[in-house]
Amino acid sequence: MNNQPLLEAVNLSKRYEDGALAVNNVSFFVKPGEIFAMLGGNGAGKTTTINIFLNFIEPTSGEARINGISSHVEPLKAKQHVAFVSENVMLYTNFTAIQNLDYFVRLGGKTQYTKDDYRKVLLRVGLQEEAHNKKLKGFSKGMRQKCGIAVAILKDAPAILLDEPTSGLDPKSGFEFIQLLDSLRNEGKAILMSTHDIFRAKEIADTIGIMRQGNLVMQKSREELSGENLEQLYMNFMAGVYE
Amino acid sequence: MTKLIIEKELRDIIGSTKFAVTFSICSVLILLSFYIGAQNYRVAQAQYEASKSANVRQYEGLTDWMRVHSFKIFLPPQPIATLVSGVSNDIGRTIEVRGRGELRSQDSRYGDDPIFAMFRFLDLDFIFSIVLSLFAILFGYDAINGEKERGTLRLTFSNAVPRAEYITGKFVGSFLALTIPLLIPILIGTLFLPLFGISLSANEWSALALIVAAGLISIGVYLSLSLFVSAKTERSSTSFLLLLSIWILTVMIIPRLSVVGADLFVKVPNMDEINSQKSRFMSQIWNEDRTKLNGFTTTNKNDVQALMNEFNKYMQNLADEREKKYNEFAMRLNEDRYNRQMEQQQLALFFSGISPSALFSLASSEVAGTSLKLEQEYLAQSKEYQKEYAKFMKEKTGMNMGGFAMVFRKITDDNAEKPTTININEIPQFTFKPIEASGGIGPYAGYAGVLAAFNLLFFAGAFAAFKKYDVR
Ligand SMILES: Nc1ncnc2c1ncn2[C@@H]1O[C@H](COP(=O)(O)OP(=O)(O)O)[C@@H](O)[C@H]1O
Ligand SMILES: [Mg+2]
Repeated sequence: MNNQPLLEAVNLSKRYEDGALAVNNVSFFVKPGEIFAMLGGNGAGKTTTINIFLNFIEPTSGEARINGISSHVEPLKAKQHVAFVSENVMLYTNFTAIQNLDYFVRLGGKTQYTKDDYRKVLLRVGLQEEAHNKKLKGFSKGMRQKCGIAVAILKDAPAILLDEPTSGLDPKSGFEFIQLLDSLRNEGKAILMSTHDIFRAKEIADTIGIMRQGNLVMQKSREELSGENLEQLYMNFMAGVYE
Repeated sequence: MTKLIIEKELRDIIGSTKFAVTFSICSVLILLSFYIGAQNYRVAQAQYEASKSANVRQYEGLTDWMRVHSFKIFLPPQPIATLVSGVSNDIGRTIEVRGRGELRSQDSRYGDDPIFAMFRFLDLDFIFSIVLSLFAILFGYDAINGEKERGTLRLTFSNAVPRAEYITGKFVGSFLALTIPLLIPILIGTLFLPLFGISLSANEWSALALIVAAGLISIGVYLSLSLFVSAKTERSSTSFLLLLSIWILTVMIIPRLSVVGADLFVKVPNMDEINSQKSRFMSQIWNEDRTKLNGFTTTNKNDVQALMNEFNKYMQNLADEREKKYNEFAMRLNEDRYNRQMEQQQLALFFSGISPSALFSLASSEVAGTSLKLEQEYLAQSKEYQKEYAKFMKEKTGMNMGGFAMVFRKITDDNAEKPTTININEIPQFTFKPIEASGGIGPYAGYAGVLAAFNLLFFAGAFAAFKKYDVR
């Protein structure tokens, strides 16, 4: 397996027009078959970081690379190698789950799928069959989240960005989601996930980063963390104990 | 990629409630306009025939062409005018032709049925320029900011989607979605036309096609404008309000203001002023001629017939001269008024050119033959007819009557043979040659060109705005 990083932040900084420094000189990378969990409270800069990867905003300095391609220099090329699930997946309410899947997956460049592929993937992410041909209008946040994850899986990109993907899921779905992530990792995907959920992060991540006020204040591998109490560590970082 | 976005846009709109509502309203209005148009045409056609025969009937039984002082001609209804009425209901349809003198049209449709003048007709012009422009705004006001509000823009642009293709797909998709509720009922309506008793000539079919084409371009203007505004504003409620204001301004206000504005810059003397000047002049030269009557001398004191002929000839000469003078005077006044009117019209048209819906109305009336030219054309053709009529009457009566001529005639003739009735049908027939679509194609292309330029301009604006758009 090629071991070059698929997702890479290099001295990434973002200062918004109003002067707020949302991301401050952040560097990390995610290799194929790895999950990087970005922990941090509200306003820590997690979404901003992901938005730079997707070229929704330009970095003030540094760069975000996907498969070695700088996302603000060649956004169209970079985005071919990444799938994205947002905190609150929004789809077309006039379309059924399958229709939404079909549209967004084609938009992602994959045209070879059959209805049956869509059905299988929706079942895999835990969306019950009777919902597949229903319009999105009545879907709960969790159901939409599942559709979003299905889109990401079908795009079959080597890298996946997840911005608090479990926030709308019930405990059972959350558990299934972690298993899903595990299988995606085994397929060799490089996964960057932002989350508030320390326990899930500890359970699944190969590397955990903690963000606070735009700074990546801690970055440790599973091995490095094995003896430590992550929860205590997190609270300490949040309190600024190590500054 | 663009094709995919177009398909999605089409499906998204066609599945929406607003599409269902638009489709129903359009279908009802368009089919109704075809139906009402056909009804109106039939009524107008019957009226036209009735007026013609009533006109002929009034001369039945006459034995002397001298008693035919004038002959009425009528503007026949045109089928295409029922779809794009333009000025056809405002201008007079009847002209009373005399051997000489000015021609004036009277009896307009709106004059006969004032209720229609109040509410106008429901025609394709109304549907395109008012109803469909509004629907175009309804389809486009949230094209961009609505997607952002719905949150779908984020997922879309997490993919490698070029913005140019996205906005093009948006435009084309919603444009196609708009043409469905438009073209289907129009197609059905045209298929029904023969059933309604209307057959269109090849010329009229091409006019109809050109009208629909201009309509589509003008809808495109409102759509690209909506796209532009929706890419420039944060919220769809804002863009809707803004676009609604623009719509009211361009559809309702600018066309009216342009007329008022043109009137401020160019003054046109009104018809009453002109007519009173003319009649003052006429009575002046008539008075002069009356004194000339005293100068009539004759060598045929005993032969009554010869005397009468001589007198009539003398009077004819006076009348001819008087008419020449009067015509010169009237022509000057008319020309002056006409020139100013044209100037004012041009200015009004220029002002109204910033309104896409006004441009559409102008373009469509040009090819429908119901533009401002219709009245001029009718008068011009009736003048030609007047010559024919005068020639015919001169052959029949030996003189050219009309205007203020005065003729002495011997009424009784003791040893005359029993008089035969005249055949009024010998009078030359007036057939109006409608303005061909090809005749209006120049101005049509001009108006349509401006509309196309608006399309490009607004789309370029939308394009530029969307390049910088924050899709988060
Ligand atoms: N568009 C914006 N303009 C200005 N400041 C922003 C903008 N978006 C986010 N921020 C600020 O940047 C910081 C990081 O926000 P965000 O990346 O959303 O954090 P997180 O996702 O970790 O909760 C916060 O202080 C937030 O207020
Ligand atoms: Mg966030």
